[in-house]
Amino acid sequence: MSASAGSLRSDRPRGRWVGRLFYGFLLFSLVLGFATLGALLVQVFLEGYKWVDLVLFLEPPSADPLIAGAEPAILATIFLGVLLILFTVPLGVGTAIYLEEYADRERWYNRLLEVNIQNLAAVPSIVYGILGLAFLVRGIGLGRVLLAGAMILTLLVLPTVIIAAREAIRAVPDSIRQGAYALGATKWQVVWRQVLPAATPGIATGSILATSRGLGETAPLLLVGALTYVSFNPTLLGEFTALPVQIYQWVSRPQEEFRTLAAAAIIVLLGILLTLNATAIWIRNRYERRW
Amino acid sequence: MSATMAAVSVDLTARARELPAKEFREVVFHVEDLGVSYNGNAALQDVSLEIYRNFVTAFIGPSGCGKSTFIRCFNHLNGLIPGAVVEGKILYHGEDLYGPHVDPVEVRKRIGMVFQKPNPFPKSIYDNVAFGPRVLGMTDRLDDRVERALEQAALWDEVKDRLKASALSLSGGQQQRLCIARCLAVEPEVILMDEPASALDPIATTRIEDLMHELKRDYTIIVVTHNMQQAARVADMTAFFSITRGEEGQRTGILVEYDATSKIFTQPSDKRTEDYVTGRFG
Amino acid sequence: MSPADSASVKGLRVSFQEELEALQANLQEESEFVLRSLRGAINALQQRDVELADEVIAFDDEVDDRYLAIGQGIEQLLARQTPVAVDLRLVLAVLHINLGLERMADLCVTIAKLTKLTAELEHDATLIEAFEEMGSRAEEMIRVAMTSFAERDLVGAESLVDLDELIDRANRRFVKHVLELGNDPELREWGTRMIIVSRCLERIGDHAVDIGEQTAYLVTGEFREFTDASHPDQ
Repeated sequence: MSASAGSLRSDRPRGRWVGRLFYGFLLFSLVLGFATLGALLVQVFLEGYKWVDLVLFLEPPSADPLIAGAEPAILATIFLGVLLILFTVPLGVGTAIYLEEYADRERWYNRLLEVNIQNLAAVPSIVYGILGLAFLVRGIGLGRVLLAGAMILTLLVLPTVIIAAREAIRAVPDSIRQGAYALGATKWQVVWRQVLPAATPGIATGSILATSRGLGETAPLLLVGALTYVSFNPTLLGEFTALPVQIYQWVSRPQEEFRTLAAAAIIVLLGILLTLNATAIWIRNRYERRW
Repeated sequence: MSATMAAVSVDLTARARELPAKEFREVVFHVEDLGVSYNGNAALQDVSLEIYRNFVTAFIGPSGCGKSTFIRCFNHLNGLIPGAVVEGKILYHGEDLYGPHVDPVEVRKRIGMVFQKPNPFPKSIYDNVAFGPRVLGMTDRLDDRVERALEQAALWDEVKDRLKASALSLSGGQQQRLCIARCLAVEPEVILMDEPASALDPIATTRIEDLMHELKRDYTIIVVTHNMQQAARVADMTAFFSITRGEEGQRTGILVEYDATSKIFTQPSDKRTEDYVTGRFG
Repeated sequence: MSPADSASVKGLRVSFQEELEALQANLQEESEFVLRSLRGAINALQQRDVELADEVIAFDDEVDDRYLAIGQGIEQLLARQTPVAVDLRLVLAVLHINLGLERMADLCVTIAKLTKLTAELEHDATLIEAFEEMGSRAEEMIRVAMTSFAERDLVGAESLVDLDELIDRANRRFVKHVLELGNDPELREWGTRMIIVSRCLERIGDHAVDIGEQTAYLVTGEFREFTDASHPDQ
């Protein structure tokens, strides 16, 4: 009697049901997560969209909700974003290059560095705030200024940028390096002319995503001195506020209108972050390499 | 002698393919008692031979016999692997490649390499070929250099209208020829090829082999191949490597026989060579 | 296919192509030498010229040199280029033809030696003339065989059978006439030796037919005898 004789119908109906159950569970998790998030977003949007207007963008805050705007906060957030990128990219990429291309893995200090970068990425943001307060605001006497806020956010975001840059550099195949060395390039030439250009899309994506995370942080900014009521536009060494802080401030006001304003500000903040993330994704898709 | 029987001596073209006698060969590399070990494990030992100018020399042998390790000694690429130690001598035109103060960059300027899997840079075709000259400061008449290199690599006609296109848009065989052009652009004396055709289809392989025949007029070529028939087709001299086992079972590569290819494939001196080329032993 | 593509396809394995062509050129040259040998042997025979016969014998060294060189060339080609399909058939055909040509040259040497041996003997002038006809026929067959091979001409190759038939008939006639020569012992000795010469010429014809069979093998891929000695009517 040959093994192939007999019906082709499955003889394990129970197995199929387990499969279906599992699939159902997956769908359920997906829907639960997205539905919750979706509900929150929709609620915020419905509450605040009417108040997203020029007043919001061009007027400073005020006690009167009808003429209150978030111009200083919006500008400060944008300002912080620019500074973040300016600080984190050279520092993060430089560290990543050192670790990937130059460091001898056997040395103890390099291994220490490796372990700690992972740890740093997991430290709660408020700890960075305390750090900033102690060393930047008071320690070196910078004061409660925008620059200090930028510097502390840099520290917060740096580990993530380093990790992302390392991944991008590691993704460059070794065959490219070997090919470049075989042509007579020095180590520096190999890194600067081959590795970095090839890793740039990954580095850019990682930096933008890390920055957008940093822009949403409230606690460290508060500790470093973001004021809750600022009616003038920010300067580098002046007092400042930021969108998350402004939102927090408005939400704690008793008037109903301020809560609506807060919702509007949230929409703006989300808009900034979404734009940043979309840019990161666009860069990644456009420059995706198939080795 | 009567007119009928006057013998006319004719140059038998087949005979002209015989290699020039030893006295007429110019030595490019003199290898003496070379050994390579990785982290204390000997991968290759006691290799001595000479590489001749404008010859194609092939290294054949089973996997793990050290032929790739050996070829990488010629351009200092073993130095990139941590834990690799090279003993013995390789004299390049009389100068020890592993002497003190030898700059790997200078070595690689004169001794280029093509790899098994084509590895074009993720740049344009032009920038790929121009990379070598640029990093070495040979930037005068760059367009001419690029064109000449691509012509020598038999690729110019296929790409001359799209030099700005990405190198990754080329087929596998074209990419490998691009890598050869890249290597030629810095005007080396020697070209090392580590299994250059093993990742390519048969027609692309034949193109590369034909290219080797042409290039050897101007360059000295060393090729590692696991395909014996390829060595038989392209090489003037063939070196057969095999594996010996030490007392504790460690495997080390050694040179078994080095001779004219015609001899290796018709009447090898060593039985191990014969076993390998007849396919009775892998 | 663009012009660049077709040019490059034709140009693959150039050195291998050149080796094959060199081999065939050497073979053609060897056949020229054989023709020279044959003409020399026939002339020496007809003119009873012992010095010419010596030259023919010495000339065989040239043919042997070519024979060895071609043999080595075939060995190298098989070892290094691993030819297949039509290339393989070509190399095998060259191998056989090389052998055949060398045999033909040896047969010419035999004729020359017999010329020397019978130089002082009584002879029959009319019978000697028959050799001119047989010799010319053999020369023609060698030329047709080598040309058909060069041009891969199957019809030309097959025509060799009919040409061979003529030599065979001439050989049979010759033997008949020798048997009618009479009782003179010198003449009889001469006649016996000349039968061998006639036989040599007939063998040369057979070898030429073999060359034709190699051409057929090259073109069709089939081993085939044009006529089988054991089945003459097929």
